[in-house]
Amino acid sequence: MALIEVESLVKRFGGLMAVNDVSFVIDAREIVSMIGPNGAGKTTAFNCVTGLYPITSGAVRFDGHSITGQPPHRITRLGIARTFQNIRLFSFMTALDNVMVGAHWWMSARVWDSVVKSPRARADEKRVEARARDLLEQLGLTRYAGSYARELPYGLQRRLEIARALATQPRVLLLDEPAAGLNPQEKKELMALISRLRDEGLTIFLIEHDMRVVMEISDRIVVLDHGVKITEGKPAEVRSNPQVIEAYLGQGAAERMVDA
Amino acid sequence: MPSLSLGRLLTWERVDPTARRPRGAGTSTFWIFSIGSATLLFMGWLLPWFVRPTSSGIGFSPMDVVSSAPTGIGTFLVYLLGIGLLVMVLSPFAELFYRARKRAVPARIDQVRVLIAVFGLVCTVVVFLLTRVIQEEQLFGPIDTFTITDSAVWLTMVGYILAATAYGLRGWVIRRPTTAFAAIALPVGILLPLMFHQAPVFILWAAGSLGIYTLLALGLNVVVGFAGLLDLGYAAFFAIGAYTCGSLASPKHSIHLPLWVLIFLGAAVASMFGAVLGAPTLRLRGDYLAIVTLGFGEIIPDLATNNVGKLTGGPDGISSIDQPIVHLPFATINFGINKEWYYWSVLLVVIIVIVLLRNLEHSRVGRAWVALREDEVAAAATGINTTSTKLLAFAIGASVSGLAGAFYGSIVTIVSPDDFSFSVSVSILSIIVLGGIGNITGVIVGSFVLTFVIFWMLQYLNEWSATLGQTINVPSLGNIDYSQYTYMIYGVALILMMLLRPGGLIPSRARQIELTSGGEEESLAAVQGIA
Amino acid sequence: MSDESPAAADGMLVDQRGLTSRSHRGTASSPAVVATSTVLRQLYSLVQRYFPQILVAGIALSILFVYTSGGLTLMGEQIKNALVLGAIYALVAIGYTMVYGIIELINFAHGDVFALSSFYALIIATSFGGFINSLATGSGIGLLVALLILFVTTMAAAGFTGMAIERVAYRRLRDAPRLAPLITAIGVSFLLEGFMLVKFGADNVPTKNSLWITGTALTLGKVSIAWTDLFVFATAVALMFTLGAFVRITTLGKAMRATAQDRNASLLCGINVNRTISATFFIGSALAAAGGIVYSLNYHSIQWSLGYRLGIIAFTAAVLGGIGNIVGAGIGGFVIGIIYVFGGQLAGGEWSDSLIFAILVIILTFRPTGLFGVDVTTRA
Repeated sequence: MALIEVESLVKRFGGLMAVNDVSFVIDAREIVSMIGPNGAGKTTAFNCVTGLYPITSGAVRFDGHSITGQPPHRITRLGIARTFQNIRLFSFMTALDNVMVGAHWWMSARVWDSVVKSPRARADEKRVEARARDLLEQLGLTRYAGSYARELPYGLQRRLEIARALATQPRVLLLDEPAAGLNPQEKKELMALISRLRDEGLTIFLIEHDMRVVMEISDRIVVLDHGVKITEGKPAEVRSNPQVIEAYLGQGAAERMVDA
Repeated sequence: MPSLSLGRLLTWERVDPTARRPRGAGTSTFWIFSIGSATLLFMGWLLPWFVRPTSSGIGFSPMDVVSSAPTGIGTFLVYLLGIGLLVMVLSPFAELFYRARKRAVPARIDQVRVLIAVFGLVCTVVVFLLTRVIQEEQLFGPIDTFTITDSAVWLTMVGYILAATAYGLRGWVIRRPTTAFAAIALPVGILLPLMFHQAPVFILWAAGSLGIYTLLALGLNVVVGFAGLLDLGYAAFFAIGAYTCGSLASPKHSIHLPLWVLIFLGAAVASMFGAVLGAPTLRLRGDYLAIVTLGFGEIIPDLATNNVGKLTGGPDGISSIDQPIVHLPFATINFGINKEWYYWSVLLVVIIVIVLLRNLEHSRVGRAWVALREDEVAAAATGINTTSTKLLAFAIGASVSGLAGAFYGSIVTIVSPDDFSFSVSVSILSIIVLGGIGNITGVIVGSFVLTFVIFWMLQYLNEWSATLGQTINVPSLGNIDYSQYTYMIYGVALILMMLLRPGGLIPSRARQIELTSGGEEESLAAVQGIA
Repeated sequence: MSDESPAAADGMLVDQRGLTSRSHRGTASSPAVVATSTVLRQLYSLVQRYFPQILVAGIALSILFVYTSGGLTLMGEQIKNALVLGAIYALVAIGYTMVYGIIELINFAHGDVFALSSFYALIIATSFGGFINSLATGSGIGLLVALLILFVTTMAAAGFTGMAIERVAYRRLRDAPRLAPLITAIGVSFLLEGFMLVKFGADNVPTKNSLWITGTALTLGKVSIAWTDLFVFATAVALMFTLGAFVRITTLGKAMRATAQDRNASLLCGINVNRTISATFFIGSALAAAGGIVYSLNYHSIQWSLGYRLGIIAFTAAVLGGIGNIVGAGIGGFVIGIIYVFGGQLAGGEWSDSLIFAILVIILTFRPTGLFGVDVTTRA
């Protein structure tokens, strides 16, 4: 059962064709990675799926319903959460508040409740704070609950961003280069985290450059180059695909690899 | 020794890592108390020297100290009070001294100060009783050296109470700043008209200017401080509230609704306009947003001046606005005659608004506003509907302004387009910037300082200058008319403010860092390529 | 090493409630709302795409209205007025657009520099015991010399004023978030206005130099075009062309364009960014001064508050032309002049200002990049 269907996605910036007729499908509880050299259009594709960029043409469907052209906040509320390549936390909010913002859309307190601090608002806040603290604890961030987000070490900032995304009650989690800047130990923890998230029922779609991470955790891999999908498949297939090798290492390399 | 940066000293604080949110206001409140007490004592002492010739304070001209020897117990007590004043005025500097060396103030110094404060309090009460109850002239020597007014006594008493609280209950003030502030401010605020019953002009200032501007600043703080939307045309909503009141409570259209109805009505009408005027700005970046709001800020008064639809009375505006007359079984209260009732009404409304806005600040919506302010793109990606969140900020901010406008119309009884010019919008913005963007304490402090300077000090600056000229024998000082320099001084103050202390007097730590190092200024619309 | 590793604690990371299918939970809209919003959105993109055409059509229509209601003479008169006013707007707008292009600051004080310049011009014209004044009213050559002196000195004075403002008030706040430089700019504006208020008083100040150029140049039909009208127009056009050439040809001009595009890259290329920005302020202020001079030559009185409203109107012109685009600002000035005059003719003079502010809102709502603005590309 396909959760996300991307069909003939095209995104053009003026004269530049960033994403050119890309189609792929992500099934529920899959871990799919999107790889490709820099500038291949991966983040652009992400931004199209999450509604950050208006799509030039094509369609994106979530759970069978079209989400093409929907504003980003609505897509998040439907169940697609994301993190950013260059971390976009709310630097001057505490870690706890960052995560609580994720719960914003499903909190039941309305404006009037908030203004008068009604019992409903108070119960709501307590509930959300408990959930946020729970998330922080499970991700090992309790010590930083009251610190400003910008004061956290880099690796923990990445984790906080994931916590915030999880707070939005997602069904799919889109991670944009989650392993960037992490040391090997942190990468191991990241992979364990992703596996655990899938085991608990989430679907994961990630962009990543670290091949080891990609090969180890992905169920399927989609390969982009210059805005075009050049192949997709299981890790083993993709690894030995000559087109992929050529895209990353240049024309001669593919032939040499085959010979070798 | 670490660098003596004034800004760092004044906001030095400790952060509890596991607390829900970092505490910072405590230290600022302490400073308010410390400096506030010094200021009040100073004013109480030198009131006669500032305002001549008839009203005076609990002290006398410094020149006379030299010339007249102490005679009588009363004079002696006053001299003691003078020493107490000196100690209290020097206290904030002592605090700075210890802060610079990163050492805690020794307990003994605190104890001494508390003792002096309590003693000063007792002295003041005794002096007051001596002059009012006993009225023994011999106790004071030559009477025309100084006289003692109620206002000065009250100022001095409050000053000593503040000092005693600040230095004696330092821990409590820092840990529970809001409670401490409220504990002092509330009784003083309520009793203010009784303290200054000899000065009806002062009461009017307190109600009309201080109260109204505080309300306006609180409202604009929602838009600029909480949500981070630059609004330069805020006076427009003030005008809408005022004209609503004017239209519906005056002979103009022969409708006479009571004030309390008009307050709600003014707020409601203004909030609708807030949403409408905010709508075009949703996709705009910071300065463009500011300019559009500026444009609206000009259009609305112009609509009033041009008497659109014959509703607004043209350049002369609407006059003879009703002032409430409340009929109680035992008395009739006419707000127009006893302006203290205006003051108490505004005070009540201000307190309610503060409580409600604080609730908002620490709620779901408040968080959404901060997120929006920090990073609009990330906020949208986290599920926040940026459109409705922004419109809400505009609507709520405007509603407070409309509320203030309704009061304003009633107090001054005449509303005309000139009252709602760009200068007014800038004044309110200045209050927020001066006091500390985003935090309510800062806004209140800023409102006090600014309205006091603009609406009170400026009036008497000429006289003070003349008195100074007389005292130090430079008579030409009496010939300067300061009122024409208002604009220039204002401009210089704004420039200096932003260059030296952009965070305001009571900055919130987060904002101060934000303002000096810059943040992500990418709007959602820009990312989406539609702006 | 990391004691912060994600613990396999009890409690789930993934909220199981969220996993249930909720295709339209919280996002369902009634068909009426969907329909109206679609219509609105399509209307919006229509206006956005055809904005220039709609604008031109609107202007043409209003000119037509004036013609049919007031006759050819009235239309001609107003076109003349519009071009004269527009010329002044253009000169001031260019300063706004240059400064915004290079440091992304709306220089609130720019309008006041314009007003101040008209006072500078008045002072210079009447100083030296009225020497320059008599020179101007004496002979044709004398007039030219006087004008030359007036322009050079006033523009230089204004230029240095602008440079000083940048150096003192704006430089330190170059990288601060929007609010700080904006408030500083307002502060500078108040300072200048306050200064003019103190120095020259609150009332209208009659301009001696408006008597320098007199007489009608030519008459088209029943419309008489005075020499001052021609002078204002010609000055504006000449200065705009000079500036355009300057920016294209000279090194400094190139430096300005480079710094406007990417300040850091310009630094890396060895451009003295501080000096470039100072020069930008100098030139922008000098042009505003030219506007102030021609204003004082054309109109019979000036006032301390002249700069405020005119500044916003000129800024609207800059936005209309596309902020950052010098030619656009020039054209925008004339367009705004036409809208101001003809709008005032149709709706009544007291509505002209509001009309322009409304236009400002409309432009920023539908076409923030203006008519000739740089096409905003998103980050790929």
